[in-house]
Amino acid sequence: MDDIRTITLPMTPEVARSLKLGEMIYLDGQINATAGIPTHARILDYLDRGEPLPVDLNRAAFFHLGSYSEEKDGEFDVLYMNPTTSTRFNSVMPRIIRELDLACVGGKGGLDAECARALKDVGGVYLSFLGGGCPLLSASIRHVVKVAWQDMISHYRLVVLEVERLGPLTVAIDADGNSLYDNLADDAQARRADVLAKLAAARG
Amino acid sequence: MTISDSAISQLTQDLYSWALRKVPDDTKAALEAARENEDSVTAKNTLTMMLHSAKAAEDNDRYVCSDSGVPVYFVRIGTKAVWNADIKNAIREGFDNLVKTIDPPILKHVTNPLTGERGYHGKDMPIVTFDLISDADYIDITCSPKALGSGRWAAMELFTFPTLETIETFVLDTAIKAGSQHCPPVIMGVGIGGTFDYCAKMSKEATLRPLGSINEEPILAAMEKRLTEAVNDLGFGPMGTGGKTTTLGVHVNYASGHGFTPVAVSFNCWINRRTRARIYSDGRVERVE
Repeated sequence: MDDIRTITLPMTPEVARSLKLGEMIYLDGQINATAGIPTHARILDYLDRGEPLPVDLNRAAFFHLGSYSEEKDGEFDVLYMNPTTSTRFNSVMPRIIRELDLACVGGKGGLDAECARALKDVGGVYLSFLGGGCPLLSASIRHVVKVAWQDMISHYRLVVLEVERLGPLTVAIDADGNSLYDNLADDAQARRADVLAKLAAARG
Repeated sequence: MTISDSAISQLTQDLYSWALRKVPDDTKAALEAARENEDSVTAKNTLTMMLHSAKAAEDNDRYVCSDSGVPVYFVRIGTKAVWNADIKNAIREGFDNLVKTIDPPILKHVTNPLTGERGYHGKDMPIVTFDLISDADYIDITCSPKALGSGRWAAMELFTFPTLETIETFVLDTAIKAGSQHCPPVIMGVGIGGTFDYCAKMSKEATLRPLGSINEEPILAAMEKRLTEAVNDLGFGPMGTGGKTTTLGVHVNYASGHGFTPVAVSFNCWINRRTRARIYSDGRVERVE
């Protein structure tokens, strides 16, 4: 894992387009994290009303990461973070990706074809985080920039973090809308008949 | 001496806390073997990251995953154990104390399915089921915190007089539906037969069996081997980004039933959280895993 490149955020459209499916990268810079469906609903509500979000998400890195944040002496600390399943947000992500022109999104498990089309439209990518990667991912946190929407439970809050060498993260949907998830699901369906035949042969 | 409320309360707290911080040894060994077997750089690197994450959690006494799940306990009471405890209540009070004292604090995952409200407490939490062990002089407790990532892909179907082909096709199709989603490589548990409720529990218990152990029923030992290969032939791979390892093992339990035959499939994600200990009548605790 020595030849993994490190990309500094915000990610430029050129860099996003240079990322290959299956490539692993590290990220430096500012990321935005939340794991809440209510958070996404509130983002859409703000967009509906044309109200500025408490965090500037334009062309940002917006990840499905749950985190434990706590306030001590007026300052927030994030004790740990880890990805959550992105497909839970399939229905709302196309609009969020397009309206905020997101350069990179991510989490685990991927997003559906409509989200991939939205990423293609804006030239953004989806990055797969290691599920069960708490110790590795949390070690990259350098600074808690902001914790917005503190009325929500911890993992639903919109958390802005400064990170260094976050990853490695796998490019799972590229800026042309090619999706490892869709490719693998298609491959599995295509193999199903052969796999069933192999099972039948093994049963004798 | 008897087994007391405080002993049950303390042990069940410990089991939960240990489960969050340590990937079982059999699982780490299986991940290492899988890494050797993978061809693609992405799959190899992903498995390496998993092993690093497991080691870092253990070395630093931190959680492997942020989703600490909901508390699930399997309590098996030896018929010769001497106990004087309100076991279910002791486990509940233990969990109440755990959420107040555990370091670092855990997130609020206990969810009221009617309102969506989330917290640390809720109806029927922790989930505790009971069984008996003939002649044993201890109480055996397994803790298996269950989280969303793999929990949501479990499935059950009821068949009438199914063939092995029908059963295996359902298992394979459940794996295809879960796809890249459940933090693979997963441990798959399959229950065949019994009744609806019993079958679901068999499948869950099958996930708890140590990896590499051979099923005592020859028909199932052969089925486990070919289903493990079949699921891995699907190609979803570690974290669902491609590779030869989608499952570390398919384990199958069965029970006799009527002609209607439930088949249940459940998943444990790669961190495979499970801890288990025995508490003897004299208060001695023996950690099993």
